Amino acid sequence: MNARRSNFWALFWGALAILYFFLPLYGTLDFSLRMKRGELSLQAYQIVFSDPRFWEGFRYSTLMALITIVISVLIFVPTVYWLHLKVPQARPVVEIITILPFIIPAIVYVFGLIRTFSRPPLQLTLSPFTTDILIVTGYVVISMPYMFRAVDVGMRAIDVRSLTEAAQSLGSNWFQILAHVILPNLRIAILSGALICFATVMGELILASFLVRPALGPYMALLGLTKAYEPAALAIISYALTWFSLGLIQLISRGGTAQQFTGR
Amino acid sequence: MSHLELIHLHKSFGHSVAVQDFNLSVQPGEFVSFLGPSGCGKTTTLRMIAGFELPTSGVITLDGRDLTYTPPNKRNVGMVFQSYALFPNMTVAQNVGYGLKIAGKPKAEIAARVQQMLALIQMEKFAARYPYQLSGGQQQRVALARALAIRPQVLLLDEPLSALDAKIRLELRQEIRRIQRQLGITTIYVTHDQEEALSLSDRIVVMSQGKIEQVGTPTEIYNEPATEFVAQFVGHINLLPVEILSPAEGLVRLGNQVLRAGRFGHLNGKAVRLAVRPEELNPGRVDGLNNLSGRVESVTYLGSIVRIRLEVEGHLLALDMFNERRLKLPRSGEPLDVHFPVEACWLL
Ligand SMILES: Nc1ncnc2c1ncn2[C@@H]1O[C@H](COP(=O)(O)OP(=O)(O)OP(=O)(O)O)[C@@H](O)[C@H]1O
Ligand SMILES: [Mg+2]
Repeated sequence: MNARRSNFWALFWGALAILYFFLPLYGTLDFSLRMKRGELSLQAYQIVFSDPRFWEGFRYSTLMALITIVISVLIFVPTVYWLHLKVPQARPVVEIITILPFIIPAIVYVFGLIRTFSRPPLQLTLSPFTTDILIVTGYVVISMPYMFRAVDVGMRAIDVRSLTEAAQSLGSNWFQILAHVILPNLRIAILSGALICFATVMGELILASFLVRPALGPYMALLGLTKAYEPAALAIISYALTWFSLGLIQLISRGGTAQQFTGR
Repeated sequence: MSHLELIHLHKSFGHSVAVQDFNLSVQPGEFVSFLGPSGCGKTTTLRMIAGFELPTSGVITLDGRDLTYTPPNKRNVGMVFQSYALFPNMTVAQNVGYGLKIAGKPKAEIAARVQQMLALIQMEKFAARYPYQLSGGQQQRVALARALAIRPQVLLLDEPLSALDAKIRLELRQEIRRIQRQLGITTIYVTHDQEEALSLSDRIVVMSQGKIEQVGTPTEIYNEPATEFVAQFVGHINLLPVEILSPAEGLVRLGNQVLRAGRFGHLNGKAVRLAVRPEELNPGRVDGLNNLSGRVESVTYLGSIVRIRLEVEGHLLALDMFNERRLKLPRSGEPLDVHFPVEACWLL
């Protein structure tokens, strides 16, 4: 009887959570399909997909996301590696630094960026190209908590120190250790970090709109102000994108566990 | 000329001293164990030889070449870790061949050498497996083959068996010794297990608190421990506080019973202790030998031996006997006389 009662509450809260998460999503989906009066249609989606500004934003954001990922990997893999190997006592400090992007609002951060880099000596906001450099560095910072944690967790699953020393005693230099031993064993971790990074950048609004770059985020916001059905369709599209990324993470990491990547 | 030479090695971490004034010279093909309790500096010394730690002072030479500041990847020293440390992303064959690949050896040569090494550890059939598909003992054998594949001048092992269960440990111990003999490779083996050290080594270095207590063959270490620490750490020992009666003859007194010590250094009149191993004691009284009378305190079965604890003049004394069926064991509380040869005891 006790078990049955706790069963009931588990179901109850589960159902409530599902309603809480999915009702708005369902509402949005339903709304996005009702552009034509009295029937369900994909017209809102067609409009979005035939808008060149959507594709421009999509292309731009995708490119920025990929560059962000490459730079993040190049920065965080060696950093976390060094942290594990040489300065484990610095971990608390580093952990606090990496969650700063969660604590400092993006709007504060972007104003800081603009104030610092819109005047000499480093005037980056003048041309689109230098602004892109600025925006990528911003994205690297914003996605730092995810990338750092993903790599950190991956690194914890392997015995970094012994593997490094084993490789060293077999004649490897630092580059070979990273390339042959550390990176291959972090594939899953890096991939999941990269996918979260991708999803973050694709939906990013504040940096892109204040630095006035043609990203997907500002386009969505603009559409939201001027249209009714298209923003709903766009919201569903971006949801789908995020979920696709998450699904991909699941798929890859499951495949990985079945293979040799459980660590020890 | 000796092969591997450690001269006045000293290592501090901040204010704490891990190793001090460590001197050792190892002959080619010799199997030397570092034995000591946890934290005595065995691993630190080994890691200095491997190059993972720099000595605070002192010199390490290998065949006359000064290695002290050579980075680990230029030392040509093989290392086996307690945690195996196989590369999880590589197969057994790739693991074993990794050092040769780094050295830029041709593919055919690597393949041949890998075959040879796998044959040595009797794991030819496992070449294509990944480490996670192997048992602990198999993984450690692969790690051994990987370390040996590059033909190192010295093989270093840091408690390679302590993560394995008792039976495999025993098996692999013999295997390591066989391979070491077969290749004639100079080996340094770190362990805190005295049985391992005694059964494997040509020489044992007993360490305590960063210092060498004694260097010697297993027999020397066991039969002639140089210090009280060695006597107590290796094997079991009875230490009885005695009074000196005659320094010249080695006569001492325990309560009202007189004993003669087989070995004694310069006695300076201070209180000393008589050391005797439990297996040297036998029940009964024999004229001409050392005799003691006491009372049985407890009788404990330890498998092949039985340990009897006696209370003698207010001190506990252990006596080991083989567990034979016809043995008539004394009961607790009974009086018991024991004897032991004069040569079997010494003063500390
Ligand atoms: N990286 C380090 N930083 C500070 N102290 C260290 C470091 N490595 C070792 N020590 C200290 O040096 C001493 C010797 O350590 P070491 O690891 O050599 O002992 P060990 O004999 O191998 O012990 P065990 O049997 O437990 O492995 C210990 O007191 C240890 O705390
Ligand atoms: Mg150790």
